[in-house]
Amino acid sequence: MSSAPPAAPVPARHAPADDDPDELRGLTVVPARYYGRWLAGGVVLVLVAQFLHGLATNPGWDWPTFFDYLLAESVLKAVWLTLQLTFYGTALGFTLGVLLAMMRLSSSPVPRAVAWAYIWAFRSIPLIVQLLFWFNLAYLYQELGFGIPFGPVFWTFETMHLVGPITAAVIGLALHQAAYAAEIVRGGIISVDSGQREAAAALGLPKLRQLRRIVLPQAMRGILPNAANEIISLFKGTSIVSVMALGELFYQVQVIYGRNGRVVPLLMVATVWYIVLTTVLTVVQHSVERRFARGAERQPEPGPLDQLRTRLRGLAQSRSSARALHQSPVPPGLPPEPLTDTARTDATATHATATHATATDTTATDVRGPRKGEAR
Amino acid sequence: MSGGRRPMVEVRGVRKSFGDVEVLHGVDLDVHAGEVATILGPSGSGKSTLLRTINHLERPDAGIVRVDGELMGYRRVGDRLHELKERAVLRQRARIGFVFQNFHLFPHLTAVENVAEAPVGALRRPRAEARREAAALLARVGLGDRLDAYPRQLSGGQQQRVAIARALGLSPRVLLFDEPTSALDPELVGEVLTTIRDLALGGTTMIVVTHEVGFAREIADTVVFMDRGHVVEQGPPAEVLDRPDHPRTRAFLAQVR
Ligand SMILES: Nc1ncnc2c1ncn2[C@@H]1O[C@H](COP(=O)(O)OP(=O)(O)OP(=O)(O)O)[C@@H](O)[C@H]1O
Ligand SMILES: [Mg+2]
Repeated sequence: MSSAPPAAPVPARHAPADDDPDELRGLTVVPARYYGRWLAGGVVLVLVAQFLHGLATNPGWDWPTFFDYLLAESVLKAVWLTLQLTFYGTALGFTLGVLLAMMRLSSSPVPRAVAWAYIWAFRSIPLIVQLLFWFNLAYLYQELGFGIPFGPVFWTFETMHLVGPITAAVIGLALHQAAYAAEIVRGGIISVDSGQREAAAALGLPKLRQLRRIVLPQAMRGILPNAANEIISLFKGTSIVSVMALGELFYQVQVIYGRNGRVVPLLMVATVWYIVLTTVLTVVQHSVERRFARGAERQPEPGPLDQLRTRLRGLAQSRSSARALHQSPVPPGLPPEPLTDTARTDATATHATATHATATDTTATDVRGPRKGEAR
Repeated sequence: MSGGRRPMVEVRGVRKSFGDVEVLHGVDLDVHAGEVATILGPSGSGKSTLLRTINHLERPDAGIVRVDGELMGYRRVGDRLHELKERAVLRQRARIGFVFQNFHLFPHLTAVENVAEAPVGALRRPRAEARREAAALLARVGLGDRLDAYPRQLSGGQQQRVAIARALGLSPRVLLFDEPTSALDPELVGEVLTTIRDLALGGTTMIVVTHEVGFAREIADTVVFMDRGHVVEQGPPAEVLDRPDHPRTRAFLAQVR
């Protein structure tokens, strides 16, 4: 066979020999159509519409009462207290958590054991039990003293004055939070490639600087999503403080419907506030995450607002020009060569699979955006 | 070799075990100022471990290392050696450059920030000045136009050149390279070797672990051949590479050629 004289050149791939590549390039691309997806989408939309219709027409929801109380002063005050509890619980909890994480990663056994025991204890005790303990601290210890351990005491305080209900709640939430925060921070730190620490050590960077400049910024990538989860769940978890008769959001709402009997609309008031504030936290989370993604990807990921803008602009333009895709300019400050290539590839991919073509200036990012960037 | 002068790097009787396995069985090595020593040897022979004991990333179980007359990791008091605290060891390390096989650049810092980090953090140089010098060093390794690129935006060869600039940023007395080209695609090896060659010609004292025999022959003043934790043979490249005494050296060279 090998001795046979070379006949006409073998046609390339599967393309018929008479197709001119230059002509192929000029043809219009028809996106693939997924009829199953359209059908499923339609069913879901109908169900959603039914639900919304119910919300609007069922008198049980009692929307007038809802609007009466949504911005009532007592409710706003309660929201404010909820935010304060979340803020102090988070700030103190994570400060203590970082400390505990360092202790657990320490090379000396005493701090390691203490941190381990702390985390073990505070993850074992239900938050509500712990809160009630703090609330009843004055019953256990009437006075707290400040002095030399097992020696003379210089100052004493009456526990009742020092630990009021709000302080008790903050302490309880923070101590509980610290145990979880410690594990999140430790997880982030040990996920950083050991070569990074080694390189920093080889450069002779002081220990603290290794941690602050090299390890923690990289650990933050792993810490942030989990930390945001914790903060959000602490935010809603503050409702547990209602057992201490503290006027946070959930307690306040209970007080009101206890008085007027309108349970459902008042629960909706609380729900809407929790949703709105969680949304704010989510947006903040995203922008903080983006700051710590420095250098992690070849192109920065767009925020949810950028994505929305891109989508809308893409919608507007998809009808008029599909050719705009190929004019994607290079974002400033990034290497021109490989970027243009990725942008092109991604743009083509988008063009082929999505019905809404992307806008010109953020072409490449639109494809990767929804993967991680979507608000949850 | 150069009679009377104290070597820049002195390794004496260094032993190191990991668990029950002794990886270095009493290694001796001298490298003089301005000299380039290359270490060759089969995988697992202890080359990396030796290099890491020189800057005390690994603490030797026995034996000592001196760099520029300074005893690494210990302080002599009378006839005792007191172990130095970590902070003091870090200070000693800041005068020794180390280039890793896998670069280990800091991914969240730009090229120029990577290079300026140690001068600012370890030598307490003013930031602006350190950045200027970092930019000059990057220009020296041919990356003057990529100062603000993040490591992931650079090719492997470019990353390794940034790593070399980073090691140079501390004005080290000696540079240690651990297989600086073995993580690179073949077409990127050349640019890194060129950078190292330029440094060698400029009179930097270097110890280079490498598998590139041709490169070793070209730049080395001394070739050290290691096998199973021993220095088997040591001498000028013409001797060790072309007329090896030891059968192990001969077997290894026959394999890599
Ligand atoms: N941290 C460690 N713990 C346990 N064993 C180790 C450790 N580091 C190295 N070793 C062992 O020590 C021996 C020597 O390793 P070393 O990395 O020094 O070899 P090498 O000569 O650099 O090899 P290569 O050419 O493959 O890099 C190997 O058997 C290795 O498994
Ligand atoms: Mg090695």
